[in-house]
Amino acid sequence: MTTVPQTSPSRHRPARIAVNAGLVIFIALYAAIAFLQPNYLEPGLFMNFLRRAAPLVILACGQLYVILTGGFDLSMGAVATLVVLAASILINGDPDATWAVIGALYTMGIAVGLVNGLVITFLKVPSIITTLGTMLLVNGLALAWSGGAARGDLPDNFRNLGRLVWRDVPLIGTLPLAALVLAAFVALAWFGLSGTVYGKRALAVGDNPRAAELAGTPVAATRILAFVVSAVSAVTAGILLGGFSGVSVNAGEGLELQAIAACVIGGAQLLGGRGSIWSAVFGALSLFALFTLLNLLGLPQALRDSIQGLILIAAVGATVWRTRRRT
Amino acid sequence: MTVVPALSMTGISKAFPGVRALDGVDFECLPGEVHAICGENGAGKSTLMKILGGSYRPDAGAIHLAGKAMQFTHPRQAAEAGIAIIHQELSLLPHRTVADNIFMGHEIARRGLLDKAAMRERAAELLRRIGARIDPQALVSSLSIAFQQLVEIAKALLLDTRILVMDEPTAALDERDSRTLLNLVDSLRGDGVSIVYISHRMPEVTAIADRITILKDGRKIWTRPRDAAPISEIVRAMVGRDLKDFYPAAPASMPREVLLSIKGGTNGALRDVTFDVRAGEIIGVAGLEDSGKGALAQALVGDAPFTSGTVALRGQPIALRTPRQATAAGIGYLPGDRKREGLALRQSVRDNALLTLRSMVGLLTRPQRGALADGVIDERLRAMDVRAADFGQEIGTLSGGNQQKAIIVRWLAQASDILVFVEPTRGIDIAAKAAIYETMRVFADSGRCIVVVSSDMPELIGIADRVLVMHQGRISGDVPRGASEEEIMHLALGLADAPSEETGA
Amino acid sequence: MTADIVKPKPGVPVAVLLAGLSIGFFVVVALATGETAQLSGQGVTGLLQRMVALGLVAIGQTFVILVGSIDLSVAALISAVAVLASHVMQGDPAMMLPAILVCLGLCVAVGFVNGALVAYGGINPLIATLGTGLIIQGVLAASFGALQGSVAREFQIIAYGGVLGVPYSLLLLATLSLCAAFVLDRTLFGARIYAVGGNPDGARLAGIRTERVILSAHMVASLFAGAAGLYLAARLQSGTPWIGRDGIYDLESIAVTVIGGTILAGGKGGVAGTLAGVLLFASLDAGFNMLGIDAFLKQVLRGTIVIAAVAVHAVRAKGHVA
Repeated sequence: MTTVPQTSPSRHRPARIAVNAGLVIFIALYAAIAFLQPNYLEPGLFMNFLRRAAPLVILACGQLYVILTGGFDLSMGAVATLVVLAASILINGDPDATWAVIGALYTMGIAVGLVNGLVITFLKVPSIITTLGTMLLVNGLALAWSGGAARGDLPDNFRNLGRLVWRDVPLIGTLPLAALVLAAFVALAWFGLSGTVYGKRALAVGDNPRAAELAGTPVAATRILAFVVSAVSAVTAGILLGGFSGVSVNAGEGLELQAIAACVIGGAQLLGGRGSIWSAVFGALSLFALFTLLNLLGLPQALRDSIQGLILIAAVGATVWRTRRRT
Repeated sequence: MTVVPALSMTGISKAFPGVRALDGVDFECLPGEVHAICGENGAGKSTLMKILGGSYRPDAGAIHLAGKAMQFTHPRQAAEAGIAIIHQELSLLPHRTVADNIFMGHEIARRGLLDKAAMRERAAELLRRIGARIDPQALVSSLSIAFQQLVEIAKALLLDTRILVMDEPTAALDERDSRTLLNLVDSLRGDGVSIVYISHRMPEVTAIADRITILKDGRKIWTRPRDAAPISEIVRAMVGRDLKDFYPAAPASMPREVLLSIKGGTNGALRDVTFDVRAGEIIGVAGLEDSGKGALAQALVGDAPFTSGTVALRGQPIALRTPRQATAAGIGYLPGDRKREGLALRQSVRDNALLTLRSMVGLLTRPQRGALADGVIDERLRAMDVRAADFGQEIGTLSGGNQQKAIIVRWLAQASDILVFVEPTRGIDIAAKAAIYETMRVFADSGRCIVVVSSDMPELIGIADRVLVMHQGRISGDVPRGASEEEIMHLALGLADAPSEETGA
Repeated sequence: MTADIVKPKPGVPVAVLLAGLSIGFFVVVALATGETAQLSGQGVTGLLQRMVALGLVAIGQTFVILVGSIDLSVAALISAVAVLASHVMQGDPAMMLPAILVCLGLCVAVGFVNGALVAYGGINPLIATLGTGLIIQGVLAASFGALQGSVAREFQIIAYGGVLGVPYSLLLLATLSLCAAFVLDRTLFGARIYAVGGNPDGARLAGIRTERVILSAHMVASLFAGAAGLYLAARLQSGTPWIGRDGIYDLESIAVTVIGGTILAGGKGGVAGTLAGVLLFASLDAGFNMLGIDAFLKQVLRGTIVIAAVAVHAVRAKGHVA
């Protein structure tokens, strides 16, 4: 029966249009912003919105890899802080050093990702505790290295990655370099999940690691790679942050939770098994739009934490509710 | 005799989707009686006991305790009515003391304060009563399984238990411990406790039971006093079903070259396992729950590897230390616990069928390339007759039979040569069963082989070319096609030395 | 069965081992750095006082971990309690009791929400308590401007007063530790906690209402976090929204509990081990100070120790961990 390959054509399936929840939420929130501030509809301001949202979107893409495999990465904010502080110390205003230092920064990030992944897969420490630990560790290292204050200097060619904006671009008017970095990173992250077999492996590992293992999936390698991708995204976001907000000791503070909340808004399921790159992208844009909207409405920034907390609980609660109703 | 039965269940019926688990079963147990229930796996024993214990509600029928009608909606109510069930899976707290465990949920306390001395004393008394020389202060994790079993019994006795259900209590015990347990059952009977005793071990059953009831396919075959039920009769009644003709015919050709050869395979659960698997063969593995048959499957697929011994694939020695290594060597695995070990339930049918292929190709392979394409896998799924509205739907929404077929497709797509199947047809309907048997035969006939581990004896007899029987981690016998269920059962029970005496009785 | 009686096995408890290790480290460092003053009565009292805040939180954390849950919201709750206490008191000794009652009321509420989300809502405790922690933290940071104030001078006695050279704070820790140990060891509630954590299905079959036990454990954890918050408010005179987070009380309380031999799966462990874990952290802290290790490097070491400590206990676990 099945041993003889049959060659009849594949049955045609109706193409299902996947409407991403994050996209809908984003459009709604952006419409609300535009209602309050109509000039947000101009291409220039939209591009500026993208530029400011870029670090969060990139972080969310990295975090998504980890979430798909069933874990969390709470160390990414600390990595971003380390990147900002390390860059200014290492480059110290010398534009010629920029590219070499960026290479060094990625090496550091990959090292953190490897440590996270190895500790979780081989020492079996839950990822939430491991990455809280590496968050402390990386933050401590960054502060010890910098002496607890911003020092050194970032040259223009480094900062341009985050803040350069080309004017008089046809059609869209202005084009920030950060938006290009964003597009390139999202394209790469998309390719990793949808252009290779990795994405499906990650989903299977997050859904049922035991079944994946018995089916021959390299579970440990899949998990470790996710943490490396997450750390790489943190480095990239850190570079952009250094560009447009300069050097500060709390450059990356709280970003890890924003990234998690973003993925959840976009429809990724915490503890694994469901989600796509668009969950991260539109979830992050939605969250950033939400923050912008709250600012416009005059709500204190500090409430961001609370909103994220509510989002986390509501998202997991909704999943539990759905599964309970089904059984 | 007009003794009011301590327990009487009448006309109990229970259906699950697609299965009639119990059909009008009557069962009773007198005070101070040991009443054994025998039957094959799936005969309805455990469903009947779950109804008695309040875990399931019957569709029809009545339960009377000492003449009083009862209806249980929660295990708690059954416990309060004096019914205690000792399950095969123990429900103990490993890190607590024996006394703590005996009193779990029923602690002696005054105004919230524990009276530890009283509990220790009472625990010691209970343990003495059942002849267990265990210090109530010992940690449960430091006890052997046999002793833990005794703690479970003490726990049951604490609550003035009138009806004690023991489900395969000796499954994990050796000869001597089993005998002690049987003595205990005997003395409990003397105290007037009614005992429902479920066991596969025939000598035990005939030694201890006052009456024996046989269940088969959800119906009661008969209830007889022990003296009217020799082992041969019991086994015949348990087995005596027509081997349904959905088993495919035996292969036309003889087995060919040796594909896989295990010599002296040993690990924590297995001792000195040696056998060859030949191309074209379906090898059955039979044995009781703790015989090591599951461990053998786990060793073959690298999940719980052999710690010593040699494994050779087509004459070449190989290591099977992880499932991935086994997969790469061409060994595929259909786990016994489909939901926990077989499927990623929230992924699509297609993704589950492609899981192994995607896991074994290079990381940067394009997802739709060659055999990974939707069209190709859809074709395979259709060839296997996996029924789904859309292969893109979550596999969790499919029936068990279709899920099982999808896992088989996974390994067919990987072009594995050796498949290890554990309980391949557990909980799936007849049509899917027949399809799976057919697939197995076709697979083996194409020059590959299957090792099938099953508790379903007729299934093994119907499908396997020969059956390895396991007992206490060893292969206790290797019987060819055409062997009887009695023969296999004897080997599985470790009675290999004197089979003819008892079957001939 | 066999003729031998199965006896409990004697062995050195984790708590004793850890305490010995901690004291040894402290003494060795003190001698090596020549800071022998640290070994005097006063020095040792100082060492023990370092245990108070973390010790209080960790005892509460022990309850939730024993029952198989976890609480990541304690850090935020500590800050909230400290801020609330100083705001309600406004330096007025007459407001001490109302302030304490308001704070404990907040703790009960937070514990109830945590417990309800975990036990009845079926939400993973890591996420549920991370979420409630974030909510508290956000509200606190947003409203801090309106919540200024400082505790009454009399209230600060908790942190700075004492009898016969023993600080009240130490007495508080000792009393609450003994109470907690008593509850776990000698009461029905304690027995139920071990049962639910050790084998939830078994406990349910034995008729225990597992949800209520989990809920209660969460309330205990929140109340202990509140006690720590009150102590910190007394020590610092006024609370800030970040004292809980800066002290990393969430992660450290989990770490010391696990180091002390309480297993993350629940059902095994106790207060003695946790206190020994706290002593270890206090000794390390004091030792690092004597060695002149700077604050940031200390944070690095802490992060490493936390991971290592959990790893020592987790590495033997079978199966996959996410």
